[in-house]
Amino acid sequence: MKLHINGTDYDISEDPPRPLLWVLRDELGLTGTKFGCGVGICGACTVHIDGKAVRSCVTPLTQVEGEVRTIEGLSTVAANGTIELHPVQQAFLEDQVPQCSWCMSGQMMTAAAFLAQNPAPNEDEIVEAMGNNYCRCGCYHRIKGAVAKAAVQLVSLEETAV
Amino acid sequence: MTQNQSPPSNIKKWRVSRRGFLIGLGATVAAVAVGVPIGLPRARLAIADFIATGGSFGGVNAPPTSWFEITADNRIRFFNPKVEMGQGVHTSLTQIAAEELEVDWEQIEVVQAGTAQGLNDSMGTGNSNSVSSTFTPIREAAATLRELLRSEAARQLGVPAASLSMAAGIVTANTDPSKSLSYGEIVANADVASWEIPEEAPALKPASEFRYVGKATPRVDFKSKLTGEAKYGYDMRLPNMLYGAVARPRTIEGKLTSAAAGEAPNRPGVVTVVAEADFAGVAAESRLQAYAGVGNMDLEWEDGRPWQQSEIDEIVTVGNGTRVVAQKEGDVADLLDGDVLTAEFRTPLAAHAHLEPQAALVDVQADKVTAWVSTQAAYVVRGELASVLDMDEEQVEVIPTYLGGGFGRKLNVESAREAAILSKAAGRPVHVGWNRTEDMRHGFFRPSTHHVMKGMVDGNGRIQALQHEIASGDVLFSFFPGIASAIVGADFGAYRGARLEYDGIPNRQMVSYRTPLPVPTGPWRGLGLLASTFATESFMDDLAHSAGIDPLQFRLNHLTDSALSQRFRTALETVAEMANWGGSLPEGHALGLAINIDAKTIVAQVADVSVENDQIRVHNVYCAMDPGFVINPDGATAQAQGAIVMGLSSTFFEEITVKDGVIEAANFDRYPLLTIKETPNIQVNLLQSGEEPFGIGEPPIGPIAAAVGNGIFALTGQRLTRLPLRLG
Repeated sequence: MKLHINGTDYDISEDPPRPLLWVLRDELGLTGTKFGCGVGICGACTVHIDGKAVRSCVTPLTQVEGEVRTIEGLSTVAANGTIELHPVQQAFLEDQVPQCSWCMSGQMMTAAAFLAQNPAPNEDEIVEAMGNNYCRCGCYHRIKGAVAKAAVQLVSLEETAV
Repeated sequence: MTQNQSPPSNIKKWRVSRRGFLIGLGATVAAVAVGVPIGLPRARLAIADFIATGGSFGGVNAPPTSWFEITADNRIRFFNPKVEMGQGVHTSLTQIAAEELEVDWEQIEVVQAGTAQGLNDSMGTGNSNSVSSTFTPIREAAATLRELLRSEAARQLGVPAASLSMAAGIVTANTDPSKSLSYGEIVANADVASWEIPEEAPALKPASEFRYVGKATPRVDFKSKLTGEAKYGYDMRLPNMLYGAVARPRTIEGKLTSAAAGEAPNRPGVVTVVAEADFAGVAAESRLQAYAGVGNMDLEWEDGRPWQQSEIDEIVTVGNGTRVVAQKEGDVADLLDGDVLTAEFRTPLAAHAHLEPQAALVDVQADKVTAWVSTQAAYVVRGELASVLDMDEEQVEVIPTYLGGGFGRKLNVESAREAAILSKAAGRPVHVGWNRTEDMRHGFFRPSTHHVMKGMVDGNGRIQALQHEIASGDVLFSFFPGIASAIVGADFGAYRGARLEYDGIPNRQMVSYRTPLPVPTGPWRGLGLLASTFATESFMDDLAHSAGIDPLQFRLNHLTDSALSQRFRTALETVAEMANWGGSLPEGHALGLAINIDAKTIVAQVADVSVENDQIRVHNVYCAMDPGFVINPDGATAQAQGAIVMGLSSTFFEEITVKDGVIEAANFDRYPLLTIKETPNIQVNLLQSGEEPFGIGEPPIGPIAAAVGNGIFALTGQRLTRLPLRLG
């Protein structure tokens, strides 16, 4: 079958049945998507399929239809070759959010999908949206602030575009 | 004394490797410093004091060029022996290194040192001592290298060393600025083999001249982590590698009694099956194939005793096991005989639950082993691999990767051993990455504890005698039982944080009962700190209540003018001011206070709590932390914020239980962690004192459970005596 990941097409065997996570990590070398629990609780493996946040550890490969985006594809490469971080990545960097950072790909993919749907969230909505992603180092306090900051940044980007 | 005798010489010689690396010779190992068992009770007390005051059993002592490499294009590579597990040590130690070396921040790059660099960090990264144990050694190494470069530059430029200035990695003659050399140029043209290290380290900068140390510094590892490029142990890959899986017992006492390959070799993707007396595993082309392979081996197990949780609680009871008096000030004996206040507290077994499970990639070749491991203890892993592979330690190179959390669990990494066995059998590199169930059930745990507090308050509201008795499963004895059980008698890791530190209490005693468990137990962030502070600081509030005195005032009343008491006082007064202690609160809220010292760092916390729908809610946590001198204030703040969240997770949720010999939790469904939903606002105030940095990674996890419990007591009058806290 064909997988479309971060703008690139891959030919992947459908057999044996296996979750998307291990195809990304062990077969395609996209190790930015992390493994945490394997049962869809912790959120470390979150990727986008057609812009929607999904848990790749419980997503069977054969059910993947649409464009997959992983943390490696969240930033964009500008015309001059420099990497332009997604506003969520930029906010997480500016606010020095992570500690070990193992969960952060999943946190940021969750936040990016959420903000695409709700560009002007209040604090309760941010907490609700981020409420199913574990961070064992306890960076929640900074995550909340950085998601709000990214939202402001995204809105101003859109206004600039208009 | 004989005249004209040469001074004793310990001048070390240096060599340059073919790659242009500067590798130091003669690195020395900081040894474990435990005395001989003479006058046992006194020796035990001395060791207890040593631990309590932040003495270090590990350390780093290496000559300057083991730490640094200077390249011809004038870049500095700083080999950092401490692993980056989220605590920011790659950044803070680089700040320290750049300071005395006189280089620009953009010039210096931190490189994770493996065992090949010879820095001999024998005890690994932990114990909140990465900064405190290396602050002076790194500065001295950097200053020494800087002065060696100055001397060499003087020779090459033909000017006196004293007339040279050093900045941004460039040496310039004060009298003639056209005469200058970069560090890279100096090294490229130097006969480094002839350099001699001075016996005395150069004088170090005063803190007033620091440019990097003490300044909030962005983490050097974040850009690669936030773009998904950074490699952790679970991410390591090599061409031609295989994935390994290992059979594990169902029960905590389970043992393999017979192993045969069975159908495993015929399964798709399976390359190698290892079936030995005490090991059964498979290496296969994919992770899922490896696990399927193990499932098709013929294995027989002996389950051992079907332990129940109530039996484990029974073991961990004050009065059982080896009794050692680990702190004794004055004499509590007569004073605690009569009708005194008593309370008991219990804390459960807990898992580390680092989100990156154990992982290692090991490549065993005929005469050399290379292992990339998510480990806090590269040298421990090296010893383990040399032993299991029957090779010399010098043939084994262990390279720590980034860690997706450690919290003590990665001080001992079984995945490396398993990958080594499978790699040797397969003749190919093998990656072993545990799944969550393996990590949840087959690790070691924070031991459960039982505490009995007794206190006698006189008619003036003064505590005359206070005693803390603690029973705990093993923490550090799990790692060096030989030395410890013979000499120390009590597991000083288990009673970390258990001492009674109010100097105004004339008679104080802390007694440790060692109660080893059938469940494997070991270090968990702060070791005994969270459990003991929960007991001692909850009880301080009980005593305050019995005396009818405000908990803050009561604590202040039991301080003296000792240096320790003065630091306690400052922390208490600061946190009280942050929390507006005694001021008005929203309806239905109350404040709880707790304080302790750990790794020489004082942490005072106030929790602002309420009860909504029979659930405890924490709205705000205020934290005043005095960690001595701070290298990276933003990193220190982050550690406090994170430790408070992890501590709250234990306060409300975390509990490992055993049923019929099986660890009941297999994943996060049965062992949930705190989320952003329950996370309070957290304010941290760093109180800096002196010019010596103390520990930061663990101390702020200590007081939080007691602070919350004291808040609930203030609100409801109900004293909660067990973790996790549940309203009755």
